[in-house]
Formats: sequence, C-alpha cells, structure tokens
Amino acid sequence: MRPSPKLRPTAWDGLVVLCVAALAVGLAVFQWRGGTSRGLTAVVSVDGEEIDRVFLEDAAGEKIYRAGAYTLTVEYAAGSARVCSSDCPTQDCVHTGAVSRGGQSVVCLPGRFILRLEGGEPDPEGVDAVLG
Amino acid sequence: MKLTTKQLTLCSLLTAMALALSYLESLFPLSLAIPIPGVKLGLGNIVTLFALYALGPGETLLILLARCFLGALFAGNMNAWIFSLLGGLSALGTMVLLSRRRGVSVYGVSVGGAAAHNCGQIAAALVTLGSAAPLYYLPVLLAVSLLTGGLTGLVSACLFRGLRHTDLMKG
Repeated sequence: MRPSPKLRPTAWDGLVVLCVAALAVGLAVFQWRGGTSRGLTAVVSVDGEEIDRVFLEDAAGEKIYRAGAYTLTVEYAAGSARVCSSDCPTQDCVHTGAVSRGGQSVVCLPGRFILRLEGGEPDPEGVDAVLG
Repeated sequence: MKLTTKQLTLCSLLTAMALALSYLESLFPLSLAIPIPGVKLGLGNIVTLFALYALGPGETLLILLARCFLGALFAGNMNAWIFSLLGGLSALGTMVLLSRRRGVSVYGVSVGGAAAHNCGQIAAALVTLGSAAPLYYLPVLLAVSLLTGGLTGLVSACLFRGLRHTDLMKG
C-alpha cells in the first residue's frame, strides 16, 4: 500500500534537515580548513590527465587550454587563478571566479577540465594553539 | 510490472511534465547566483515526489529512467545522462526510504531527496572526471539543497492539498 503524504512539517523533518546540515558543515570543515594563498601551485587536468602546472607565486598572464570540444582561457595572477573565458555551454567555470586558497578548484564539466590549487602553506603569523 | 492504461497515461504525462520543468528551470539558472557546477532548483523532484505518493516506487522509477534518457537526448549531451541518472536514482532511493517513515512529511522527503540528488551528481562527477576535486562543492550543494528541497516540498504540499479530493491520489 502506498503511503499517504503528510503535508505539515514535523519534528522528523527537522531531523532530516539537521542531518543534511551536519553533513554539509562536517564536509566543509574537513575540506576547507587551513588553506592559504601562499606557495600555491595550479594543477590543470583534462579528462583525468595532468596537462599543466603553474606556480602562482610569480605567475602573471593568460594561458589557453583545449578541453574536449571547448577552449578555456585561464588568467593567472600572484596567488590566484580564474577561468576568464570559455565556450562551454554551462559557463559555470567562468562564473566560479577566482580561486586563491589551497584545495579550491574550478571545474568545467562539459570539457572535463579541472584547475585545482595545491599547496597553500600555513600562515606563519597564524595562531597554532593558545596555552594557559 | 503491469500497468493499467490510466497508470501508463499518468506516467507519460508526468515524464513530459518533468522534462518541461527541467527546460523551464534552465531559463532561470540558479548557477548565476551560486556559481557552482550542478546547482539548480530541481523542479523535476516535484514530479518524482508526486509520482511516489500517487503511483508508487516502481512507476516513479520508470518515469525517472524515461526523463533522464529523454532529457539527455533532447539536450544532445549523453554525458549528462550519467549525472541525471545517478542524481535521480539517489534522490528516489532516499525519498522511498523517508516516505516510509511515518513521521516524515513531504518537506522532509523533499529535502532528503534534494540532498541525495546532489550527492549522486557529485558521485557522477567523481567517476566522470576521475578526480576528487568536485567533492569541494558538496558542502555548498548540500546547503543549497536545504533551500531547494524546502521549496519543492512546499510546492508538492500545495499540489497534494489541491489534488487530495481527486481520484489521482486514490490510484
């Protein structure tokens, strides 16, 4: 027998929301912690194969990459990178904007293109621990 | 699975509606506000949710398979097929489990389905791209699914209220 729908929010719905929120926060803390914009390398891969590696400390200018049927232009600057133009249909890679911290990436799904920032040294002036 | 003419007609109608909703939401891309691959309103989940309660899991699976295949065919992008299929199957599986829990309303089922849809799409991206990079987007996609799932839950609740006294909900 098919269940009949409950149409008013219940406490169980709150539990579902809490589980999703906890998963989002947990994944965010796990993946987004600690990355800085110091000593970064942009690793570019297409179709799972690494095609370029750019050290961002002294990077400046644009590079053009061919990803499947699409052409992407990546603009590198000291400590950041962004896809400034692409002829892919979704344009998500362009809308993502600049990435500047270790672990961040720009993905173009139609072109199977990934620009991922590796490295990101810890901030030397950052506080590691507070001791009483 | 044996379908009556009425069930078959309803399945076809819901498949067409899901495709139309998918086209409609492409006119209002949520990715302009939240620039992340795969972020969208997920209006097709309204159809999945409705079919689940009005027809049952088996028929909903048929609608899902038809809309994923036809959607990719119409878009001329068969690569999109694995994304919508994995996303849709994850969402349907989660919705079926949650809908069987007595205390969970259409809001909870919808939010759970939206979150599972995003997890399925990220899984498809991991397989397709052969990299863990897409996982970086999952926290934001899950946060967005709370809003989009809540919205589709609200629309579905209104739909069920409006159709409560019709024989559509009586099978």
